[in-house]
Amino acid sequence: MDKNRQGAKASYVALAVFIAAWVVLPSAFRRFNREAFAEFQAPALQLLSKGRDLSRYWELRSRTDEELISASRDLSRINAALELKLQGTDDMRRENSRLREMLRYPTSSEYLTVVARVVSRDTSSWWQSIIIRKGRNDGIRPGAPVVFGNHVIGRISVVHQNVSEVDLITSPTFRCTAFLDGDEPPRIVHVGGMAGNSLSAPRAKISVIPPGYSPPAGEVTKVITTGLGGVFPAGLIIGTIEGEVSKTPEANFKEAFMVPSKELDRIDEVSVLIPKYPSPGEILMSPGEFLKLEEFK
Amino acid sequence: MVGFVYVTLGLMYRQIFQASDLTRDAEYQTQRIVIRPPARGLIFDRNKQPLVENRVRWRVKADLMVLQPEIRKEYLKLLSQAKQENFFDKPDYDKLLENARVNILNRWLSKIWFVVDDNYQLNKTRTNKVYPLRDNPERRVNIDSLRKHLRESRAMKFTLISDLAFPGSTISKTPEEGDRAIARFIEQFPSGGPITLESDMVRSYPNGSLAAHVLGYVRDTDELPPNSEEFTDPILKRLQKLRYTGKKGAAGIEETMDYALRGTSGWELWNKTSTGYNKELVQSTSPVQGSEVVLTLNLNIQKAAEETLSNIRDSVGRPLPGAAVMLDVNTGEILAMASQPNFNPNRLADRVTNKYYDEIESAGGWLNRATQGLYAPGSTFKIITAIAGMRNHKVDWDDVLDCGAFYRVGNRNFPEHEPVGFGPVDVEKMLAISCNVWNYRVGLSVGPELLALEARRFGLDRPLLKNLNPSDTSKTYNYELPSTAKGMVIPDPDYKARIGGGAWNQGDTANTSIGQGFLLTTPLHMACFAASLARGETITTPTLIPTGGAKVAHIGSQPIGLNRLQLEAIRSGMYRCVEEGTAKSVRIPGLPYVAKTGTAEYFKTGVKAHLAWIIGYAPADRPVVAFAVLVEGQLDTSTWGGKTAGPVAQEMLKAWADIR
Repeated sequence: MDKNRQGAKASYVALAVFIAAWVVLPSAFRRFNREAFAEFQAPALQLLSKGRDLSRYWELRSRTDEELISASRDLSRINAALELKLQGTDDMRRENSRLREMLRYPTSSEYLTVVARVVSRDTSSWWQSIIIRKGRNDGIRPGAPVVFGNHVIGRISVVHQNVSEVDLITSPTFRCTAFLDGDEPPRIVHVGGMAGNSLSAPRAKISVIPPGYSPPAGEVTKVITTGLGGVFPAGLIIGTIEGEVSKTPEANFKEAFMVPSKELDRIDEVSVLIPKYPSPGEILMSPGEFLKLEEFK
Repeated sequence: MVGFVYVTLGLMYRQIFQASDLTRDAEYQTQRIVIRPPARGLIFDRNKQPLVENRVRWRVKADLMVLQPEIRKEYLKLLSQAKQENFFDKPDYDKLLENARVNILNRWLSKIWFVVDDNYQLNKTRTNKVYPLRDNPERRVNIDSLRKHLRESRAMKFTLISDLAFPGSTISKTPEEGDRAIARFIEQFPSGGPITLESDMVRSYPNGSLAAHVLGYVRDTDELPPNSEEFTDPILKRLQKLRYTGKKGAAGIEETMDYALRGTSGWELWNKTSTGYNKELVQSTSPVQGSEVVLTLNLNIQKAAEETLSNIRDSVGRPLPGAAVMLDVNTGEILAMASQPNFNPNRLADRVTNKYYDEIESAGGWLNRATQGLYAPGSTFKIITAIAGMRNHKVDWDDVLDCGAFYRVGNRNFPEHEPVGFGPVDVEKMLAISCNVWNYRVGLSVGPELLALEARRFGLDRPLLKNLNPSDTSKTYNYELPSTAKGMVIPDPDYKARIGGGAWNQGDTANTSIGQGFLLTTPLHMACFAASLARGETITTPTLIPTGGAKVAHIGSQPIGLNRLQLEAIRSGMYRCVEEGTAKSVRIPGLPYVAKTGTAEYFKTGVKAHLAWIIGYAPADRPVVAFAVLVEGQLDTSTWGGKTAGPVAQEMLKAWADIR
């Protein structure tokens, strides 16, 4: 028999044995394997990200003096504008704390903020997930909201030792509740990601919009977090409504498409809002606590 | 040999000639149709204010097919326990499987409650600790529901929580709590598992109990509105069909106009697994929402009527039962129809608890007193006695009768409500002061037959609301409201003989002439009588469906049969009743109207009590609306027509004046 054909047969057999072994292996082992692979890959990702930062640094070092002077002038202007804004913000902060004191309203410090750089974004899942350079060692916990400014980016889905995966708002596995601009009194709607492949437009679907809702005419309708679900703070922007709000075929509800903010396409740095106390949902997701709950059945 | 040939030929026949039919049958067995109910149509008042809407209902469901491995594992665990306990006895396998299902579903329910319930949300003072769940039977799997589900609709997902956000339920006390429960589930409960949150529409009555008797409520049904395709396509026709539970009208307009409100069902064609669960959606059509229904009611007048009616209390502070109706004099369009006590249809829209059902039952809240309550009309009937007297030439508009403190009929003195009598009284004064003796005298001279004839001319004993199926030749009447009263009584000697009450006597005539005795009618009849009087006719056909401004023919209506002076005397008497008579306390400055009060006596569980009445129309010179109000006294005789029923009419008229 031809030696090549024998070799091909052997590789098929090896593949079949591997698949069979993978199927019969206990799930804990497979989970461990996945986790080990992620941890093994993490330093490489970090190194790659740091390398990118370094190359950016050297790229900036190669700029001419004129370019640097011009950039410095631009920055000075932006700085001045921001200083002015900051002063306004300080005034508002003082006013806010005065009003809170008057109403005896508790201060909102339910989240700790951790800033993290994006280390990797796979082109095959561009609108579905990103990996950030902070993990369990930095206090990141699964389910924590990830934001950029006052825009929601997504939620932490998996946490490793030094890196974490973020489920973006356009990912089909992302879901949250929202209020729509101009809905008075505000009624809860459902937001679920629906990105297909990387080349398709990033979109999410807004469903269960009450039939009586009409978006304010001539304005971009913002989709805002409710703050009721115990995960996202209230008032963050998830995106804006794209196109018209149309009735479902059953005419029970309306539905619309939502586009996320432009920053989602070229995001470099995000903030993870870590709740001070774990939500019941988080406890359900963490295996140890999950078992505790099982005892109460 | 013969047997062999028989079997061979039989097999050949099946293989060759029946092959395609048998193959198709096999395919049919792997598919089924699931019929989805449509959303019901909305109901509005005459100004397009919503009276009945559909609200979002969030239901937590479990996919039993996805849960099968978990259930199997639990089943094996229970089986092994049973074997350990008693190796030699054969365990009840079905029971073990049911227990396994219940255990798994309860386990998931514990997780759901842990996430959505306020009590389990961790606050700042607590650390990462899970607290035991309460053993609340309402929060556990209902075994009967599970059995029914597995028997009848195993293919569908099983509903674990039927209405997560309904305010007032065991889950959410307020709409905010409901919103929080939904948001927590969506944002915190792990997605992609066997538990899903699904939304559909359920009936919502935004004004609560307002106009509850007119609007009615809905109840569950498995008889979904048909979808024409279901019956025309021969393939679909042959398939097994499963139906979601839909809603059908159970009372009021929801029931009588169910044919318009219910819409058309949609269907889904599913491939199923060998164990009977749905596997893959092949084809579907959407349900079509029911039509909108616009009623003649005016929300503001309805509110005024119900609020005032609910504020009328007896001497110990309990609300008194009553009814109020206001309608358009010319078109018969009903602007308000209130009945107290009532019920909140929101609490009946999804699942009726025995407790709430009994609460309504014991309060007498199911009865629409405006159309189903039968009452003696009391002194409001004196208008008919006066008309009968004048039409039969026993008295004229300017005749004056001497009315003392009582009138002797046979061997009994029939009293006046004024101890010293009223002296000389004509028609006008009689209506203003509601003199009894005048009516005894005129009623007796007219006689019971003619008096009854006159009352029948005004339709006080016939069904009033419109038939919604006039073209139906089978004579199946479908009135605008269900179960309207049929037992109205206009008594005469024949009636008394028929019910075995003995011979008619003059006392019976005297009682009838003042609206008491055997007389029974409804508040709606009296409102229609007031409207007919305002137009100078005999019949008004009331309706809850707008007539669209078209000229309305009140079927069977005739001119009232009085000359101008006689009619004027009646209207002036009723005007004086408001300006200086028994309804003086409820006159409205700037809005002259006419009315007649009535206070009929009846016995409530052996105790003498009063029925308080007021009927009339407004404005006095160019009538537009007519009304009738009735309040049932309960404990004593402290209720009176003008004093008790009058304020309800007054508030309805003020509300009407504000919007006219």
